[in-house]
Amino acid sequence: MTNAIVLKNLRKTFGETVAVNDLDLTVPEGALYGVIGPNGAGKTTMIRMILSILFPDRGDLTVLGRPSALEAKDRIGYLPEERGLYKKMRVGEFLLYMARLKGMSGAGIQQQVRGWLERVALGDSERKRCEDLSKGMQQKVQFIAAVIHRPDLLILDEPFSGLDPVNQRLMRDLVLEEHRRGATVLFSTHIMVHAEQLCDRVVMIHRGEKVLDQAMAGIHEMFDPHQIQFEPLDPASDIATLRGVAGVSSVTPDGPVWNISLDKQAEAATVIPALVSAVTPSRVEIRRPTLEDVFVSIVTGGASTAVDDDARLRAALRDGGQEVRR
Amino acid sequence: MKKVLYVAGREFAATVTTKGFVFGILITPLLMGLLMFLMPRLMMKAPPRIEGQVVVIDPTGAVADGLAAYLTPERFVERREKTRRDIEAATPAVFRGQAAASPVGEAAVKRSIDAALGTVPIIQVVTLPGGSDLELAKAALKTPLPKQGGGADTRLAVIAVQPDAVRPAEGKESFGTYELFVRGKIDDRLVDDLHAGLRDAIVSARLQTSGLDPARIKNLTSVPRPGSRTVTAEGERTTNLAMNLLMPMAFMMLLFMSVMTSGQYLLTSTVEEKSNRVVEVLLSAVSAMELMTGKILGQMAVGLLILSLYAGLGLLALVSFATLGLLDPTLIVFLLIFYVLAFFTFASLMAAVGSAVNEMREAQSLMMPIMMVLMVPLMLWLPLSRDPNSMLAVVLSFVPPLSSFVMLLRMASQSPPPMWQVWVSIVIAAGGVYAAVWFAAKVFRVGLLMYGKPPSLGTLVRWARMS
Repeated sequence: MTNAIVLKNLRKTFGETVAVNDLDLTVPEGALYGVIGPNGAGKTTMIRMILSILFPDRGDLTVLGRPSALEAKDRIGYLPEERGLYKKMRVGEFLLYMARLKGMSGAGIQQQVRGWLERVALGDSERKRCEDLSKGMQQKVQFIAAVIHRPDLLILDEPFSGLDPVNQRLMRDLVLEEHRRGATVLFSTHIMVHAEQLCDRVVMIHRGEKVLDQAMAGIHEMFDPHQIQFEPLDPASDIATLRGVAGVSSVTPDGPVWNISLDKQAEAATVIPALVSAVTPSRVEIRRPTLEDVFVSIVTGGASTAVDDDARLRAALRDGGQEVRR
Repeated sequence: MKKVLYVAGREFAATVTTKGFVFGILITPLLMGLLMFLMPRLMMKAPPRIEGQVVVIDPTGAVADGLAAYLTPERFVERREKTRRDIEAATPAVFRGQAAASPVGEAAVKRSIDAALGTVPIIQVVTLPGGSDLELAKAALKTPLPKQGGGADTRLAVIAVQPDAVRPAEGKESFGTYELFVRGKIDDRLVDDLHAGLRDAIVSARLQTSGLDPARIKNLTSVPRPGSRTVTAEGERTTNLAMNLLMPMAFMMLLFMSVMTSGQYLLTSTVEEKSNRVVEVLLSAVSAMELMTGKILGQMAVGLLILSLYAGLGLLALVSFATLGLLDPTLIVFLLIFYVLAFFTFASLMAAVGSAVNEMREAQSLMMPIMMVLMVPLMLWLPLSRDPNSMLAVVLSFVPPLSSFVMLLRMASQSPPPMWQVWVSIVIAAGGVYAAVWFAAKVFRVGLLMYGKPPSLGTLVRWARMS
């Protein structure tokens, strides 16, 4: 399989700040990759270097088999994090202009522009000025500008930020559709849920360095922390009964749910029957770690981190808060 | 190249379709043209004839008759004939020749001069002896005029000549003067005529009282002033001082205006693209160099449109005044060459500044040095026009980005520089263009994605070295 993107030892500094440090990354053609990391981790800088908008201080990169994205711009679609439109330009004219800049020609462009606008429920906005659209509508227009030329590589920087849940779902469907069409998709986000829902594989960047590059399935396996969620049928059951079960290291109540941590060497398959016989549950399940857990675990170097730091990171990753900055 | 042209096309269309451009650049010359067309026609409509009486309280008994003689219709006609002759004498020969060649043209000229001077007034001078009641005489000035204008009885003015206006008072050397009272809304030309008539009448009376012949004195003191003639290797022609100064200024202003306006548009559109954050979308489709080149080419077309519009208007004016012969056609070619050179230099710097700042307000400090440099030829216009081959003019015509402005000014002057100087200036200006584009391309690439603290000139230089 050929690779859509290959980065080797990529480094970029801005004055004293190291934005990206010795980054290696290989994205095979047809993959759907998520780049995650808190704000200021270096995701956008990496993307801009892939697109030859910024140039690395050192390192090599190959994009769609070319040494520079400048040689393959017409095959790349890009939705930047800093989104903008020409305020006074009409939506149809803007998309036509972008399509032409992306190498499209011929009489069919206008038709394609209309088709895309219909698909995202903006069919009546072709003659409207960009400034007259809502933020969500503008974002849809920008997405169309990124994909109208059917790119082989689609790079989306924080594609879901600023969208309401309905439009987030629409955007997710559109991204998946592009992926199904055969486009390689690389998107960055600092909201882990989006990466979990969409990606085949996740790359984590923290302080300019890659800290994880793993398939989603593997991540769940790799970071299974032996956590079990147990909800007793009788809320008055004695929690101490479970603490005495072999293989259980701790039991922490969290409302009606008890979070049970197992010893490292204990097997969930052995411990769960013992738990069930000790206290009758209404629900018992192995708690798979979320991407958020994994990220926090990597960034904070494991469970030893202070609770406050952990909470701050989680908040930042969940709601896009500005807490976590380098 | 195709993408560059798309960028240029959008830049051009986005600029020339703005209300600011349409009103500021297109409507203004159109209005000027319309005025140039309408003014003579509006002036053709003769103002109503001035008719009425002027009361003179003349204790000297020597002024009123002189004034009455001055204000007779025959004397009015005589003076107007003289004015017409003066206007004709001041009109360039080519224009006179063209007007004379066509009876229609000659008649039109005569008509427009007559219209400008107005129909001959009919003034009756009523003399009152000294000691008459001035207030009573003035009272008639207060009665309103009928809508159709005054008749022969309408009092237009009251003049009170002072008793010592002709002969100084006992024991004094200085003469007295007169007081003039006029009704409201009176034609200014009548007031001028009254002052001139009173001066003429009082001076004549004083000369006669002194035993001198006014006609002889007038003859003795008048020396007709001829126009100078310029003698060159090509021949001899009437010196046109106004043209000598105006033509170079017109060419330099044309260049300055088109370069400046389109350069400003480039700055604004770059800042707008950056502040709108649309620039990163564009950079995903075109390289920074392609974007900058496209924008510069688009704005160059805007400048050319402005240039051709105003130059066309100028040519139209020259044609309508039949003075096209004063213009050397090769100057138009050099105007275009120097426009391209000056524009590329200036626009590159504007693009660099635009890419570096976050909003227009921040651009001011970076613009200041560029503007100061560009203002130099304007400030030095007069000395440069008066002596286009001075050391200052020669040196400045080799210093980009001033060279284009100064050299064009020198070329449009009456003593153009030798051609080798022109070509050397063009080559140096081309070098200046290369340096400016190189610098701007470096700054543009770095600056477009830099947000935050506005950079200083030093920062721009560092960016250029960095990239």
